Amino acid sequence: MRKTVALVAYSMFSLTSAFAQAPFYQGKTITVIATTAPGGTGDLRVRAVVPLLRKHIPGNPTIIIEYMDGGGGRKGANHLFRNTKPDGLTVGAMSGAVVALQVLRESGVMYDIDKFIQLGSPESTTHYTIYTRRELGLSSLEKLRAASGIRIGAQSVGHVSYIAGRLFAYFFGLKDPKFIAGYTAPEVDAALLRGELDARANNASSVLRRNLDWLEKGLMDFHAILEVPKGAKHARLGHLPEIESFAKTDREKKLLAMWRVFRIVGSPYMLPPGTPKERAEILQESMRKAFKDPEFRREFFKLVGENAEPLMPEDLTKAIRDTPRDVEVVDLLKTLSGPEPLPPR
Amino acid sequence: MAGMETSLFNAAIQGFLNLLHLKVFLAMVLGVGIGTFTAVAPQGLGMPLVYAIALPVVIKWEPITGIALLIGASSVSAICAAYLPILFGIPGGSGSQATVLDGYPMGKRGEGRRALGASFAAGGMGCLIGTLTLAAAIPAAKPLIYLMGSPELFVVMLWGLSMVAVLAGKRPVKGIIAAAFGLLLATVGQQAQSGIMRFVFDQPYLLDGISISIIALALFGVPSALDLALTKLGVEQQPVPLKGSLFDGVKDTLREWWLVVRCSFVGVWVGIVPGLGSQVVDWLAYGHAVQTCKGSKQNFGSGDVRGVIAPESANDAKDGGDLVTTLLLGFPQGVTTALFIVALLAWGYLPGPEMVKKNADVIYSVVWLQGISGIIGTLIGFGLAAQLAKLAEVRYTFMVPIMFIFILMGAFSVNRDPADLLVVVAFGVLGYFMRRFAYPRPAMILGLVLGDLMEKYLYRSVASYGFSWLARPAVILLLLLASVSFALTLRGRIRARRSAPSSFFSGAMARSEDES
Repeated sequence: MRKTVALVAYSMFSLTSAFAQAPFYQGKTITVIATTAPGGTGDLRVRAVVPLLRKHIPGNPTIIIEYMDGGGGRKGANHLFRNTKPDGLTVGAMSGAVVALQVLRESGVMYDIDKFIQLGSPESTTHYTIYTRRELGLSSLEKLRAASGIRIGAQSVGHVSYIAGRLFAYFFGLKDPKFIAGYTAPEVDAALLRGELDARANNASSVLRRNLDWLEKGLMDFHAILEVPKGAKHARLGHLPEIESFAKTDREKKLLAMWRVFRIVGSPYMLPPGTPKERAEILQESMRKAFKDPEFRREFFKLVGENAEPLMPEDLTKAIRDTPRDVEVVDLLKTLSGPEPLPPR
Repeated sequence: MAGMETSLFNAAIQGFLNLLHLKVFLAMVLGVGIGTFTAVAPQGLGMPLVYAIALPVVIKWEPITGIALLIGASSVSAICAAYLPILFGIPGGSGSQATVLDGYPMGKRGEGRRALGASFAAGGMGCLIGTLTLAAAIPAAKPLIYLMGSPELFVVMLWGLSMVAVLAGKRPVKGIIAAAFGLLLATVGQQAQSGIMRFVFDQPYLLDGISISIIALALFGVPSALDLALTKLGVEQQPVPLKGSLFDGVKDTLREWWLVVRCSFVGVWVGIVPGLGSQVVDWLAYGHAVQTCKGSKQNFGSGDVRGVIAPESANDAKDGGDLVTTLLLGFPQGVTTALFIVALLAWGYLPGPEMVKKNADVIYSVVWLQGISGIIGTLIGFGLAAQLAKLAEVRYTFMVPIMFIFILMGAFSVNRDPADLLVVVAFGVLGYFMRRFAYPRPAMILGLVLGDLMEKYLYRSVASYGFSWLARPAVILLLLLASVSFALTLRGRIRARRSAPSSFFSGAMARSEDES
């Protein structure tokens, strides 16, 4: 009898103990608000992260992805900031543009980037390069600078490739460059090959992944590189001059520093402000483990075709916190992001 | 060139491999089911309505799965469109109206099965010919497509916009107004080329413009449901008894194989040549049969099976021709293909030259789906002829609530944004009044679909070449082709209006004309 009582008592203690230690996320469902459209590269980045995040969250919750693309990421960011319950069950998989949109005081921003709780980003290294088609004979920077009316193609005004092209043109001091937006990414290259455009700025890894022969066979002239982060040398284009070597003033260096932060945040994961600290810490730790998991790197490369260069939660928080926000630098970057002619240096 | 052929061959194989997934097959079967029901149900349902309701749902799917449903539905709906004309004497959807002239008399004299058999067999063969033409057109068009830059693409879009002449039917001024409104709506949001916000009013909802799929859903879904509720449209007469043998119709079709081939190419031609529109295809084929068949003067109109074979083969072949223009040039021939383009854009494809260059495998998937769905549709017709006839008696009281539920759920599913529900109601009301006051909604959709693309190509042309792009030989050639096509369109419209017995079919014609 005494043995039975002891057994029951032990069982009850074990049960209570088990309940006490049951991870919060066990049996829960986390909704990831993705500010990208389903099916695109942005979606693949999210899909590379989610299974590993689930694996490393204690309790292995179910994770569902809810797509909320629009407004260059504003729609999803506004929703995460204003409408979601900060209970640790809603995570934002944001576009990196949400940082720039706020710092540059763009319209439609109804969130405060500094109040989100940062979980990290799967990628932080993105180099940009500028190239011209070979038929133009602009094989050196001197020749490029001497040419007038170079037509530089891009996706849309404000798009990262558009701004990169404008930054190169501004720092090179090109004569009367024309910026022609309104292409899809593959269309820009096709227009370049057709002679409809003369140049474009692009993600260095993307261009070499898709058209390695342009570099190897010299079909395009590559002129310079914009390193993100600064000092991280690109394997194939590391020999090109870095854009900052053309900077003349502190303001111009700050301009590049600001733009590098906008790019270094990659595709950040965030929690809405007010999320309980202990739940935020669980998710931050899980994200750290996920990013360090070799399976994540394999999966990311398999799905996205790029190497993952994760930014841990504290690094992302620091990058956003330390973003230069000087008004005159912001104004200069706004001008360079817009449709107006380049400002004089 | 050999490389290109090899690459297209690979694309054709890949296009087929894309379909080898259970979900794709199930989506196609679901599409076939929906298309069959739509074709047979008498409440004035049509493919535009099906596409409008399905779009918000399928654009969230993987592209091939969504395409399977849409193509499955549209492909089979043409094949099964002969039920109403043959059994009830009611002109079917656009493209199947001429069938009533001989199909109904056949039904009345106890040859309903024979007429249906001929319709299915001729439709299946027509579908096959249309599909093969589409498959053959891709390698033929690809070299030309590589030469197209922004100026040429702008002219192609302009050519597409001339489709307003077709979609406006008998109301050119109202068509232009509707298309202009569509173009205006296409400007809402941030303009990609300049970054300027247009008609955004500081509302994040409007930053990317209003979703075309929601507008299409509202414009076509709400008025149809309201119309059905208000008019209580349905079959009021009893069907003729389903007698005779389906295989007699098959034998008739095989005997008249040359008529099937000729009329199929009439259908393909109507599909490919921009501007003729689906509502004339059956009449052109019927007219061709009257002119070329022996004894037609005495027998046509009183139950001659050739009067069924001709329009049905042309109607089914036309879909293949339609897709040639839609997929290879990127502009729609009617509202169904306009909505198909909306779906392709939502999946990230840019129908036209870009898609041929970069997503040829998806185009071939469409070709395969078109062919396979056609075969399934034909088999369904043969296998379930009697059961399908009962579908034609479904009451409007069953349909209306279901339609409203699908419309609202569809609208909300796009972005899960309650604002979309307001938009669907607002454009639904607009669509109802457009329908009531005869402003063609397809013309508005055309303006909406092409507006953004036209602006983009025009901007790029002027920015890259100034006005010298107008002197490019390919631009001049395309402008000439567009002008000739436009002139032919107008002439075709006038002829079609004369040859169609409009007094007899005025109500149905008016409806199908708006929704072709």
